[in-house]
Amino acid sequence: MTVQLAVRDLTVVYPAPGGGAFPALGPISFQIEAGTFVCLIGPSGCGKSTLIRLLGGLQSPTRGQAFLGESVIREPSRRVGLMFQDANLMPWRTVVDNIALPLELAGVSPVARTQSALALLPKLGLSAEFAQSYPAELSGGMAQRVALGRVLIQEPEVLLLDEPFGALDALTREQISFDLMHMWSTGGQTALMVTHNIHEALLLADRILVLSRRPGQLVADIAVTLPRPRRISDSYRDDFGVLAAAVRAAIQQT
Amino acid sequence: MHERILPKPMTNSSLPPVRTGQSWSALAAQFAPALLLLALLAAWQIVVWLQVYPPFIIPPPLAVWQKGVEVIADGTLWGHIQATMGAVVAGLAVGLAAAVGLGYLIAKNRVLDHALSPLIAAFQSAPVVAYAPLLVIWFGSGLTSKIVTSALIVFFPMLMNTVVGINSVPTALRDLMRSMQATRWQTFSKLEVPAAMPVLLGGLKISASLAVIGAVVGEFVNANAGLGYLINLARSQYDTPLVIVAVLALTLMARLLYSGVRLLENHTLAWQKRDRPQWK
Amino acid sequence: MLRKWVLVALSSVLLLTVSGLRAQEPVPLTFFMTFVPNVQFAPVYVALEKGYFAEQGLNVTVEHGDENVGVDLIAAGERQFGLISGEEVLKARAAGRPVVFVYEWFQQYPVGIVYNADSGLASVADLKGKKVGIPGRFGASYNGLTALLSASGLSESDIQLEPIGFNAPDVFCMGAVEAAVVYINNEPLQIQQRADAGQCGAVKNVAVFPVATAADMVSNGLVTNEQTIAEQPDLVRAVVAAFNAGLADAVNNPAEAYLLSAKYVENLPLDDAFRSALETAAQAQTAALEAAPDRAAVIESRAALREQLNAAFDPAVVVQFDVLLNTIDLWDADQLGLTDDTSWEQTAKLLVQMGALTEPYTLTGAYTNAFLPEAAQP
Repeated sequence: MTVQLAVRDLTVVYPAPGGGAFPALGPISFQIEAGTFVCLIGPSGCGKSTLIRLLGGLQSPTRGQAFLGESVIREPSRRVGLMFQDANLMPWRTVVDNIALPLELAGVSPVARTQSALALLPKLGLSAEFAQSYPAELSGGMAQRVALGRVLIQEPEVLLLDEPFGALDALTREQISFDLMHMWSTGGQTALMVTHNIHEALLLADRILVLSRRPGQLVADIAVTLPRPRRISDSYRDDFGVLAAAVRAAIQQT
Repeated sequence: MHERILPKPMTNSSLPPVRTGQSWSALAAQFAPALLLLALLAAWQIVVWLQVYPPFIIPPPLAVWQKGVEVIADGTLWGHIQATMGAVVAGLAVGLAAAVGLGYLIAKNRVLDHALSPLIAAFQSAPVVAYAPLLVIWFGSGLTSKIVTSALIVFFPMLMNTVVGINSVPTALRDLMRSMQATRWQTFSKLEVPAAMPVLLGGLKISASLAVIGAVVGEFVNANAGLGYLINLARSQYDTPLVIVAVLALTLMARLLYSGVRLLENHTLAWQKRDRPQWK
Repeated sequence: MLRKWVLVALSSVLLLTVSGLRAQEPVPLTFFMTFVPNVQFAPVYVALEKGYFAEQGLNVTVEHGDENVGVDLIAAGERQFGLISGEEVLKARAAGRPVVFVYEWFQQYPVGIVYNADSGLASVADLKGKKVGIPGRFGASYNGLTALLSASGLSESDIQLEPIGFNAPDVFCMGAVEAAVVYINNEPLQIQQRADAGQCGAVKNVAVFPVATAADMVSNGLVTNEQTIAEQPDLVRAVVAAFNAGLADAVNNPAEAYLLSAKYVENLPLDDAFRSALETAAQAQTAALEAAPDRAAVIESRAALREQLNAAFDPAVVVQFDVLLNTIDLWDADQLGLTDDTSWEQTAKLLVQMGALTEPYTLTGAYTNAFLPEAAQP
């Protein structure tokens, strides 16, 4: 299998307010094979979001390197789609225009990009009647679906998801992560998702990386051996419980 | 449609429209402005009848009406309105362009911000009325100094609003644009401009009225035409009704400009109409 | 503000003492003047300081403001007296304001056109096609200009009239205009001073076309309203008498008038050396006046004083005193306060020509000499 994402001795150190250094992340090394879904779990402030920003090319490391395929990541790439905890929709754009934004920036014609966005709505679980709605009229879950649509429309090879459903209520969250898994399984992207939720991680991931407290370092790399396709009811399986316990143990050990 | 009468505050907090049924209070609310106007006219007429002041201090409404009809009919008023309007529009255009341009640079450049902010704060506190006579010396008489006065009075609040507007663009949206490989121009046109638009339009509403004040100040100091000039002229001729007619024309002009910006705002910020912006 | 109140308090104390002798309450009176406190209002300051108002049982405070506002205040009876120009009286009366001119303060119209003496301009007619600055198309400057142009057979369209506000020295010296309509007692001095200092472009000497040589127009005077004339003629007589006394003293003893004005006019140049020179001159003049010199002798004494002070002091120190002397020339007459029918008719004709007054108009009631002191009655 080819390696899609890799980090080598990646380290981020900020200058501390009173002088001195404030280590925020690493050193950390790991690699992710193409087409796999990896979840990243760790305590608050361990540098998970920093890691996502580094991989997304929004930030440079102090030491070490991050790779997208063979090349060092220095700036955002069209092959990578980023999604955050906040939907970050533009309030002055309609649902369709928000989803179509990446195509608009890439110079795709208005008709073509609107068609693409409209075609995406059912897959996102959004009813067409919301196509011309503004973000302020959407629920949190719907807004995240739009944000997901904005990522998927550029057909990225890699999805970087920073707690995308963290702000949603439990029921919505379960449904939307299940929908995400479905979309991923048909799209074949490589995905790295930050989450706090062990249950969610087990349901989605092929591997779970557990990070230590700040500065985050890799403390466990757990393979999720549950068969696919998965169902929500899989959480009642015995091996699900065993894996959950393993992940929890790894976290508590940090 | 429930139109707001009083100017909204600078920052835009459009509350959802109040829904009124066909009740008595709704009917009253609808006709209240007209009724109030009638009451004011009546009070005015009563003051005239009671001769609290001689008619040359407070002329009867009818005299003002007749004067208004007269100067409208012979084209005098329209000529002066055009002169003032020309200065207002030109002043607004110049002031806005300069303020938005410099404001954007200041918002984007920390060094420029630190260098210019104290200077701007100082200049902003100087009332235009105080140095308007100097503008006449520097820019000569006539249209130029009127436009400069108008542009200057518009410049400072608009500059502040531009800086605030551009700075208020959420970092998360800037990151989003970067992650989508947006060019500098795309970030400007598709993020910064629309995101700053509510604050910019808020500033424009204030500026529209200020531009009228600026032009009139310029006309007071020195001019050959315009409503400010007409007021001076009427005063020098002891024509109080004409003074009132000109003041009313100015009020109407400022109000129309304000409404124009409101229309623009309703059109541009349609997304705000339905609810508050999602991000704060 | 505090100064003003202290002043009011002091003068009240003074008045109380004076009126105590008369066993009478002083009548409070607010006296309206245009512009800002300036040495050109010296007659009022002299009358205040030498107690001429107090002698008449008046407790006077002064107020400065816009002329049109002042006219309306007097017309509405909010004020009873003020210094207003004759043209304004005619225009105001035509617009229903019952104001009356009772004392001619300026005997000569104070406006003129200042120009570069070396520019080859020989008469007003030579201004044809030239750029001429003016404060604006209003007031005495505009009226004066119209009178001057019309006397030379020109009209406004023959020159390029530039409204420049009250900035003639700046604008003229920058070369933006070739001539400027100004108050002849003031701006020509300032411009000449700049020229002497080499700060007025190529201009070395300035000269003036005064309105007074072309037309006899009514200028500033003491104005009251019809109601006061009808109901309080003695009050009118009293105010006229006090103002007349102040004016006469200012004309006869400008050094003294200048010293008395310093209390009212902020920033009036008066260093120790200049003060002592003026005090010496004032005492000498007081002594000389005991011999009751004729008008020619007084004029001569003023000229001598001007020469003496200008030789001894820096132009910046003496300039406001020179303004006072120039202004006195505009006030001085054989008979102070007297106003004549001809000048009113000329003024009215000019206003008609300018469209500021429409025919038929009446001059009846607009002015009167009836309140002049006995000795001055024609």
